[in-house]
Amino acid sequence: MAADFWTSSQFKQLLDPEELNAVHPLDKERGITSEDYKLIKFHISNYIVKLAQYIKVRQRVVATAITYMRRVYARRSMTEYNPRLVAPTCLYLAAKAEESTVQARLLAFYIKKVQSDEKYRCEIKEILEMEMKILEALNYYLVVFHPYRSLTQLLQDAGMSDSTQQTWGVVNDTYKMDLILVHPPHLIALACMYIASVQKDKENTAWFEELRVDMNVVKNIAMEILDFYDSYKLMSDDNRISAAMNKLP
Amino acid sequence: MGDGRLSNSGSNSSSKPEWLEQYDVIGKIGEGTYGLVFLAKIKSNRSKSIAIKKFKQSKDGDGVSPTAIREIMLLREISHENVVKLANVHINHADMSLYLAFDYAEHDLYVMGDGEEHGVVKIADFGLARIYQAPLKPLSENGVVVTIWYRAPELLLGAKHYTSAVDMWAVGCIFAELLTLKPLFQGQEVKGTPNPFQLDQLDRIFKVLGHPTQEKWPTLVNLPHWQADLQHIQGRTYNNAGLYNVVHLPPKNPAYDLLSKMLEYDPRKRITATQALEHEYFRMEPFPGCNALVPPQPGDKVVNYPTRPVDTGTDIEGTISLQPSQPVSSGNTMSGSMSGAHAIQNRSIPRPMPMVGMQRMQPPGIPAYNLASQAGMGGGVNPGGMPMQRGVSAQAHQQQQLRRKDPGMGMTGYPPQQKNKRF
Repeated sequence: MAADFWTSSQFKQLLDPEELNAVHPLDKERGITSEDYKLIKFHISNYIVKLAQYIKVRQRVVATAITYMRRVYARRSMTEYNPRLVAPTCLYLAAKAEESTVQARLLAFYIKKVQSDEKYRCEIKEILEMEMKILEALNYYLVVFHPYRSLTQLLQDAGMSDSTQQTWGVVNDTYKMDLILVHPPHLIALACMYIASVQKDKENTAWFEELRVDMNVVKNIAMEILDFYDSYKLMSDDNRISAAMNKLP
Repeated sequence: MGDGRLSNSGSNSSSKPEWLEQYDVIGKIGEGTYGLVFLAKIKSNRSKSIAIKKFKQSKDGDGVSPTAIREIMLLREISHENVVKLANVHINHADMSLYLAFDYAEHDLYVMGDGEEHGVVKIADFGLARIYQAPLKPLSENGVVVTIWYRAPELLLGAKHYTSAVDMWAVGCIFAELLTLKPLFQGQEVKGTPNPFQLDQLDRIFKVLGHPTQEKWPTLVNLPHWQADLQHIQGRTYNNAGLYNVVHLPPKNPAYDLLSKMLEYDPRKRITATQALEHEYFRMEPFPGCNALVPPQPGDKVVNYPTRPVDTGTDIEGTISLQPSQPVSSGNTMSGSMSGAHAIQNRSIPRPMPMVGMQRMQPPGIPAYNLASQAGMGGGVNPGGMPMQRGVSAQAHQQQQLRRKDPGMGMTGYPPQQKNKRF
């Protein structure tokens, strides 16, 4: 049922990282590489976050919107599904799914505030048309489980409540990567806690070892996140981002 | 599901969208706040009937209605013998309309009419359902109109949170309705007030269940409208509880015992779904069965549920536009073509027809079936009380045990809102 991750469509449809790196043939034609995919999705995730700050929705809505966007590009091309329009539309759809509906009109208004580039402008009608295309691309699977849900309880249980803010921040950062499409959310939460405990130099090995989860998976996720932090500067290089974005129609 | 190729219609020059070609639409079987429902046969398998629910566009030109989103979202995750199956979703991009195709059930309360699943009761209409544990907004904030008959007293007195205890109250009301074929608390709603306090509804509840006291319900005094409207309520005297007179059951009867536990005033003392399934009522004759059309005991009268009338005068194609949509912001495209359809319907069907999966209108003296969609939360009840529900509780138990092993599976609750950090 919808209240349980293990019977959810999300669990059944977790993807192999390899599948995510495959570039859609239509995008290949335009010279878009899998590295460009990463950059564009990173950039578009940040764009969703900025828009969300204006329309004032909760973090869970942002996380769901980014997950939708990443799911769309696991199946569809950026050539056909323009990321500049997909970003606000995913936020629009996620807000409905998470019970905090936002008017398309408002979204179109804030787009102009967030992005001065004309290419990002869109009509209300375009958002509404894209909403239907995204529903289809998502194959109508809309429920998303996030690491946030288990985080507070896990932190408490591990005696790490003082690291809540820091861990929460790391979880937020995981949405700049495709982790949510690949791993169960509670393992992502644990990986973020692992990073926080290492950074705080808190010896917590015993607590982690007692869990009935595969710590190798948790550590691998943590490594991926740390690798991402290492490449962060390179990722947020404006020139590289615009070079990738310019390959789009 | 929702194959893009089937759903695309824009380039098609014939009079039908491509996805519609796979169906023979027989006629209209219902309409409600959210749209129209058509009965169809699958061309490739004529024995299979499908109910196609067409959603109206939301009125302010704001895309797919949140109700449709909620319904798709939940039905896409749920696969259960007693939940109606969402067979397909279709999108007509040209006029931006959305269609849900369900396995069709002949009777209200969604009893399957034919085939392997003959007599199986299904819950339908998830338009008002929410994912459990998600923080909820009051339904009224979504502009949703639901009858107050099944609303728990704590909500009527201003409690802010929908809980599963609220759903159990609604289940109790429906249980009583199934026993007597008459709604238990048929209050008159005061419309257009933002205030949840509904004096008439509370009055009807108190008349049957007696005056609530702090002794029976300790947190009662904390409810906003208990304090504020004390004189309204205190001005009346309510005699002792007379529930058994209303449902014509002796207090010792297990059905009465279960019912009274569902209609417990204090939400914290109210029976839970799991506890209810363990109740003696489900372990005595007549035993629960999974075919609602079979009499409980041999020799009992077979219940003849009415079959649903079909309005063959309303053609689904007349409601679908293959022209690119007009400016959507006006939101008039669909309502224009649909009002035509309504006019025809009004002539051919003598009374508003209760329809599964659609919001019920509330005419007086409506027959006592079609309750599932009215439980406020989209929850229905199963008059037979089915054995597989016990299976569910066993599963829940299993999950509980698993949870102990793996703390990650608990996934309980989001942190309080104020703790939510933005990037």
